[in-house]
Amino acid sequence: MLTGLIIIAAALLFWLTNGAEIFTKTAVLVEKQDELFGTAYKEWENKFIPGLDITAAFAVLSIFTSSVLIYLFKNKRKESI
Amino acid sequence: MKTIIRSFVVSMLLMAVTLAGGFNVKATGSQTFSFMDKMGRNQATFFSTTMLEDISGMSTDVTGNVTFDVEDIESTLEGEIIISTASLKSGIDLRDEHIKSADWLDAEQFPEITFKITDVKSLNEVKENMLTARVTGEFTCHGVTKEVYSDVTLTYLVESEMTKMKMPGDLLGVRAKFNIKLSDFGVQHMALGKKVADNIEINVNIIGSNKM
Repeated sequence: MLTGLIIIAAALLFWLTNGAEIFTKTAVLVEKQDELFGTAYKEWENKFIPGLDITAAFAVLSIFTSSVLIYLFKNKRKESI
Repeated sequence: MKTIIRSFVVSMLLMAVTLAGGFNVKATGSQTFSFMDKMGRNQATFFSTTMLEDISGMSTDVTGNVTFDVEDIESTLEGEIIISTASLKSGIDLRDEHIKSADWLDAEQFPEITFKITDVKSLNEVKENMLTARVTGEFTCHGVTKEVYSDVTLTYLVESEMTKMKMPGDLLGVRAKFNIKLSDFGVQHMALGKKVADNIEINVNIIGSNKM
């Protein structure tokens, strides 16, 4: 259970430190400098930014896995007693 | 002495007014700059901000042309900028599909977003061959045409070894910024004003050549 909570906390921390986006992005706009005109322009850069959607799905999966494992361990302990 | 100073000041003012009306370049008369960009450098970006999230996106399929007399831009500037609706990208594939769908901009029925210049005012020289102006134009999106105002910066670069690396001929850099309301252009969606802002900021940053 503790491992499950640690995984969820790590996923949330990863989400928070990567922009805390609502939806997962696969590309972001980055600013570049046009030296000829002395102006800034933008370019797409392939970058994976996890959104709340993927983080929540990961958290739900972790909760489910932890619950199954807890249930299995409890049953095993009962059987051994 | 007073007369000399006065005539000097008057001539300087006249010169400033004359220069502010156009570019100080070798080329004379009417020039047409085409924004046919094969490198994908020309771009139009859009930005929406709501409580829920900020959405920024871009199109690199921006074409068109402008024509003006280099000595008198204010009364001669005309042209049209065209953005391909299907080329709009926001960094999320599924959202891009939504943007192009019939619920939003309907790229199939309205494949182009256009801005046609109708009037130029407040032309001002920022520095040599860089002018700012307030341009009025007919903005067409989602099949609806409305008049919009845009603050525009025009930069003229005479052909040099540096400019040739980008494109042949003299180059014209155009930067424009304006805001539109999606609801004014017939976009009606329950997420409008919630997940997507009604007020969208548009920035255009394009380079054209007079030898294309």
